[in-house]
Amino acid sequence: MNQVPAVIRVLFVNARITLGMPLGILFLVWFFNWALFATLADAVPPAGRTTGGLMAIYFVFGSGYLQTMTQAFPFALGMGVTRRAFYTAVALLVAVESAGFGVLLGLLNLLERATGGWGLRLRFFAIDFVLAGDPLRQWLVYAVPFVAVAFLGVFVGVVFKRWGSTGLWTVGTTTGVLLGGLAVLATWGQWWPAVGDWFAAQSVPALLAGYPLVLALLLGAGGWLAIRRATP
Amino acid sequence: MIAANPVSLTGVSKRYREVAALDEVSIELAPDTIHGLLGRNGAGKTTLMHILTGQAFETGGDVRVFGEHPYENAAVLRRVCFVKESQRYPDWFAVRHAFKAAALLYPNWDARFAADLVADFDLPLGRRIKKLSRGQLSAVGVVIGLAAQAPLTIFDEPYLGLDAVARQLFYDRLLADYAERPRTVVLSTHLIDEVSDLIEHVVLLDRGRVLLDGDAESLRGDAVTVSGPSGAVSTFVAGYDVLHREEVGGMARVTVRGVSERPDFAGLSFEPVSLQQLVVRTAQSRRAATAARTRDDGPVGAGNGNGGRR
Repeated sequence: MNQVPAVIRVLFVNARITLGMPLGILFLVWFFNWALFATLADAVPPAGRTTGGLMAIYFVFGSGYLQTMTQAFPFALGMGVTRRAFYTAVALLVAVESAGFGVLLGLLNLLERATGGWGLRLRFFAIDFVLAGDPLRQWLVYAVPFVAVAFLGVFVGVVFKRWGSTGLWTVGTTTGVLLGGLAVLATWGQWWPAVGDWFAAQSVPALLAGYPLVLALLLGAGGWLAIRRATP
Repeated sequence: MIAANPVSLTGVSKRYREVAALDEVSIELAPDTIHGLLGRNGAGKTTLMHILTGQAFETGGDVRVFGEHPYENAAVLRRVCFVKESQRYPDWFAVRHAFKAAALLYPNWDARFAADLVADFDLPLGRRIKKLSRGQLSAVGVVIGLAAQAPLTIFDEPYLGLDAVARQLFYDRLLADYAERPRTVVLSTHLIDEVSDLIEHVVLLDRGRVLLDGDAESLRGDAVTVSGPSGAVSTFVAGYDVLHREEVGGMARVTVRGVSERPDFAGLSFEPVSLQQLVVRTAQSRRAATAARTRDDGPVGAGNGNGGRR
């Protein structure tokens, strides 16, 4: 029996929370930014009315999938769902939700520009850092990071279910040591300018869609390998 | 070909380093029977049930549920409902979400029965599960286990926090439903007296090993407590498997297994042994025997001799 459709519906039984939470947070963060700049009025020149509040929805999305693995996964396993069905359902859901949120952010981007930055020249969605040109690339730039943060949440959740807090510490320290080592290496070799140049040379779609996609695939594959022997 | 038993275990072990949570467990659970899985805390009951549902992994032996290995086997798992005391529910679930999820996942879900049970147990459908009392949480599991109508239904101490009235309600509903729609039920419990009228087959685990495995009726008939003058009792029970012995003054009370005759002589009297007494005495006598053997063998390494010895 294919359990995947049932699992997807189980993950949505309380859609008010699972879907409503990221959207609600996005609206609140946007609203407070808007209200803030409305209050500050002319204290901030128009060029400075840019905010990184958009990050919030990615954060909420990723932590939602972390909880999916730490809470919904043990529940589902107890209800006779296979690990394979659960992981497949989660992967499908990540893809569909990311695509949907990508479209939504793309539309809000257009709306923001059409309304002159919500009447305040506020740049919440259409920040320079993410502008990619044509609509397809713009959609990828918004959507793919959702996939990456979701699989980061999934991966961390699976590591926790499989190896407990020891696993989390191991993954955390290993990542820290690796990144720290690379930083030391770059400093020692005086490669920082080259690193900066490399980032500057990347196009926005490559930086925000291409590399995150590779990261998402690696985390997704790692999560799949780890979940096969995970216990509730 | 004869259909496979719902559960068939051959030499199943689960070892963590030198500790054996399960040690060569071989049991068959027949279809359409209520099985009692009994044993003390840490006897291996929960480990066994997790292995049966593919949630934990055996380190040796052969596990068959409906003839197949349960691990990642949707065809088997959809026919099994395991209600465990430690079942986790997502924080964002209210009671009704748990039932909605169970209805989606169990093909035989009986929504009307579930609604009746919710009324019986007075469950607040709109309340978040994490806000429920221990008893209400147990009741959620009981409702899922009964309404899922799974061909193999496993209850792991389903009564925690339930008062005597609610427990009786559970037993009554289980029995009535079982009579109407027979299936294979496994009840893991400490409250042996409460379920002794329900269970038809008994498996007693102790330190990961099977101590008793038989139908409840013949196990009960198999054991008897003999009392009378010490000398006469000792003569009578000689050669039998003595589970327990008490002596006060010149009188003795001895619980033995395998005695079929009840002779009327020498002032001996015979009392039936309840399932609970049988289980307790069997576990005690096995422990005493193990302890005696361990002493005879001289000191063994610490941590050894824990379940792994025979």
